Amino acid sequence: MLLKLIVLSSASLTLWLVPLVGLDKNVGWHKGIQGASLCAAVACAVTAGNIARKQSEQEEIEAIKTRAITADVIDEISTSAYISQQQRQQEAEQILNPCEHLERSLALSCEDNERSEPIAQTQLAQAEQNGSENGESERAERALQLKALGWGKAKIILEVWGVSKGGSPKYKAAEAEYKRLMQEEGGE
Amino acid sequence: MRAMYLANYFVAGCIASSFLGWIASLHPMASRAIAFLLAALGIVWTAAWLLDYSLSQFLKISIQQLQAVLVSVLAFLIIGLGVFLCS
Repeated sequence: MLLKLIVLSSASLTLWLVPLVGLDKNVGWHKGIQGASLCAAVACAVTAGNIARKQSEQEEIEAIKTRAITADVIDEISTSAYISQQQRQQEAEQILNPCEHLERSLALSCEDNERSEPIAQTQLAQAEQNGSENGESERAERALQLKALGWGKAKIILEVWGVSKGGSPKYKAAEAEYKRLMQEEGGE
Repeated sequence: MRAMYLANYFVAGCIASSFLGWIASLHPMASRAIAFLLAALGIVWTAAWLLDYSLSQFLKISIQQLQAVLVSVLAFLIIGLGVFLCS
């Protein structure tokens, strides 16, 4: 396209100047050639001007597109930078001001403790009561089995309670429990 | 490229001015007609130069652009007719 433009421009200049300078105005056919070449030169110049104008408009459109793309890219970059800046600011605020989060977490843990403590105590007491009841019943069953086998009192207490015969308070307590269990079994 | 298309249109104006001179050289009546046409063009040109502010508002172009067009019209008329008369 550029070559065509250059050819048309040079042709217009040539057709304008060469016949006017080289040919005689007094000769009839020379004058005719001059007129024809001037018409052709005008046509070439106008065509070249139109082509150059279209090229110029296309270049302007390309420049506008390039500017729009550049503006979009800049806008996208600045938006992402703004968002990341906001994120960094929020993170910095979270780091620099942890008192609120600490108070919240402490309040939550205190509420949990307040709520869970009575429940845990009740469960613990129940577990202990169940454990003691279970242990007592197990000891009673074991003692009755051993008695059924013909074991003596001192031997049963030694086997079940692990206390040897004597005047110790543990033995006395075990003996009292043994008697109570035997009475309960005898009563039932 | 913008300068190139402006230059081509300017050359076209110069060639058109030479063509007017060539038409004027064909016959005395044609020369009178061309002289009348050039006189009318001169009046319009002067009026446009004097009324540049109103004309720029009417044509919705800046005063600088209007003055550039008027100067270039004068220039290609002088150049075209000068080339034809001097050749």
